[in-house]
Amino acid sequence: MRNFTLPERELMGSGHLGCQGCGGALAMRYVLKALGEKTIVVIPACCWTIIAGPFPYSSLKVPVLHTAFETAAVAASGVRAALDIQGDTETTVIAWAGDGGTFDIGLQSLSGAAERNENIIYICYDNEAYMNTGIQRSGATPLLAWTTTTPEKTPKSEPKKDIMGIMVAHRIPYAATATIAYPDDFIRKVQKAKSIYGTKFLHVLAPCPPGWRAPSEWAIKLSRLAVQARVFPLYEVEDGERYTLNAPQADEPALPVSEYLKLQGRFSHLTEKDIQTIQGIIDKRWQKLLKLVQS
Amino acid sequence: MKKPIVFTSEREMPPMAVSLADMGHNRTGGWRYLRPIYLEKIAPCKNACPVGNDIPRILSLVSEGRYEDAWRLFRETSPLPGVCGRVCYHPCESFCNRKNFDEALSIAAIERFVADACFELEDKIPERPKRSEKIAVVGSGPAGLACAYFLAKDGYAVTVFEAASQPGGMLRLGIPSYRLPRDVLDREIELIAHWGVEFRTNTTIGHDLSIERLWEQHDAVFIATGAHRGRALNIPGEEFALQGLEFLKAVNAGQAVSVGTRVLIIGGGNTAMDCARTALRLGAQPLVVYRRMREEMPAIAEEVEEAEHEGVQFEFLAAPVAIRRLNGKLEVECIRMRLGEPDASGRRRPIPIPGSEFVLRADSVLKAVGEEPDLSFLSEHLETSEGIVIERAHGVLERAGIFIGGDAQTGPSTVAQAIRSGKEAAQAIKSFLRGERPPKPHKLEEALRINFHYFTHAPRVSTPQLPISERITNFVETKRAISGAQARAEASRCFSCGVCNNCDNCWVFCPDAAITHTNGTYRIDYDFCKGCGVCAEECPRNVISLVEEEL
Repeated sequence: MRNFTLPERELMGSGHLGCQGCGGALAMRYVLKALGEKTIVVIPACCWTIIAGPFPYSSLKVPVLHTAFETAAVAASGVRAALDIQGDTETTVIAWAGDGGTFDIGLQSLSGAAERNENIIYICYDNEAYMNTGIQRSGATPLLAWTTTTPEKTPKSEPKKDIMGIMVAHRIPYAATATIAYPDDFIRKVQKAKSIYGTKFLHVLAPCPPGWRAPSEWAIKLSRLAVQARVFPLYEVEDGERYTLNAPQADEPALPVSEYLKLQGRFSHLTEKDIQTIQGIIDKRWQKLLKLVQS
Repeated sequence: MKKPIVFTSEREMPPMAVSLADMGHNRTGGWRYLRPIYLEKIAPCKNACPVGNDIPRILSLVSEGRYEDAWRLFRETSPLPGVCGRVCYHPCESFCNRKNFDEALSIAAIERFVADACFELEDKIPERPKRSEKIAVVGSGPAGLACAYFLAKDGYAVTVFEAASQPGGMLRLGIPSYRLPRDVLDREIELIAHWGVEFRTNTTIGHDLSIERLWEQHDAVFIATGAHRGRALNIPGEEFALQGLEFLKAVNAGQAVSVGTRVLIIGGGNTAMDCARTALRLGAQPLVVYRRMREEMPAIAEEVEEAEHEGVQFEFLAAPVAIRRLNGKLEVECIRMRLGEPDASGRRRPIPIPGSEFVLRADSVLKAVGEEPDLSFLSEHLETSEGIVIERAHGVLERAGIFIGGDAQTGPSTVAQAIRSGKEAAQAIKSFLRGERPPKPHKLEEALRINFHYFTHAPRVSTPQLPISERITNFVETKRAISGAQARAEASRCFSCGVCNNCDNCWVFCPDAAITHTNGTYRIDYDFCKGCGVCAEECPRNVISLVEEEL
């Protein structure tokens, strides 16, 4: 039996506005459990702008700075600088942005912060589209997925942007992927990021049941299947070069990607050939990752 | 309950957009249309167990090395764990959810281990009010023993009448000791006697004491005399064949029985297998003659396998048509059969092939084509007594204080079914004495939705067996016990279907932080639970159910 050990303290309160089965909400819950009270969260425009609650409320028991869409990394850098001036080295500053604010709109400020090696943890909870504005495609939306701006007849024709590749190319001290079905791995990575000085980047797959057109109870299952089908392998990269694979194991038999795709309405229009195309891309990326892990 | 903040004027507002409270006022429970509830379900193994052993809880105790607690839990539902761990056909294992993952648990091996490990233990007999009613149990097989045990536990004065010189019924008379060592049986009967049950052996009802008299002297009578009358072959020369059960009784009673070298056993049930393996141990070469194929044999598959391993031979698709004595030997004329359409039993009907007769020679022939109850001692009274109604009540024939159960009611069945029957009879008798209707058994939903992701593959323990060469010359128990380490490892394989074991998954995966866990109990805060269903889906063992909200 696999059992999880999670820190007890709840720093995300109930009553938040996340949808049923929100992967992003659960991801926040884990991150705050991992970091504890001495944390400041910087949130640009994203689902969490809404989830946290409207003025004058906040569902988080730590300070939150809501900021503009493109500014998560730079605002977090500023908060960090202010704390440093006050001599507060204990408090951790995280930028908490969706895929839109990371892959697309906030990329320049993230790149700048990474280049300056700002001492922040940047966490992208990736639900693979602009979800709270109505499921518009983003640079993180997977190939051939349905969104309201890439309808079934013309699904998304571009593959998902390799955000980990971009961040690793900045040679930041720590970059890792994580997802909600693997809470132990997730929390360990957040705590590891906290222990390292400089810019840390976590790419978190956060299933969005309404946006992915899947039942809410499958949020964890989808997260797990994404890993098992190698759509979203869990790995870490230190100093832009040392790769460690966490899951699935290299010798584990692969789950066909169709097992993951078939549970989601956003992929229901796919043909056999489409699935093969996606499988081909997944296999190629997996082989590339294995090479990086082995080198 | 927290309330929303209301500003009545601009002056009350903070100078900048800063939060003043958490979202506790926002009761998101109103979004919910499915309500998760902790609803423990019955594990399929427990549901399949005729005795009703609480298998998941017992296995959980065994996995922690708490053998004594496990043994006590066994004894809540059955007085014969040592017996069942050996001779039960373990339907629990056929229904084990784990068989869809790797292999079913070896529950029988664990039951036997627990009984062996606790051989010296005794039941803690609590102070309980003594009841004045006296109950007679006729027959001391598994049904009689179970009935006596459960009545005695409730403080009733129970006397068990047994025709043989020692109690145990078919467990002692019919089952060979290489399957059920007698010290195990003796011990479990002794523990029943500790509850105050009185055993009166060498007392045949209808001979030494009439049923009528027995009824006069007791407030209720339970008849569990078993099924001891062997069926006939109805062929010429039948008188040359011995009843298999009589053969077993003689050997089990320690009598010197000579069957010669070649022994033919007619039949394919458990009695036939016991006869064959017993004859083998007496130095004979047994040949089982059965009219259908191996797959149709009513014997427990494991028994057939063991018989085969030990060297018992089989002649399938053959039926005897006549037995003749010739020069001190027996000649059994058989006819070849073929299988036709399935009959009422679901097995394919054997059809004789005309002109296919052949002869098998033997020193002796044992017939084991089934047994039936002999209730001749009873029918007389049932017919002569006026105004006595027989009605079926919860599987027990009821005649104003006379109850019947076990094989005597159903014909030959299993030890576990007999225990169940005895237990139900005990319940029926209690209800009868109190002038109540027996309680209706309430059905629980089976736990069938197992989330395999949370389990790791582990092979099933294999029960050590005595080597064949060491078996066939004596009546030593053929199966050996597994070790404590093996029992703990095997018990740890249990999915604990339908029974919460505090794995924390529901708490871990709640996206709304609406589940709390304190001291091993979980609570869902329905003010905030949105009903996403993640907890039910990720519960490894089907403890959480989603039910529709009432509007």
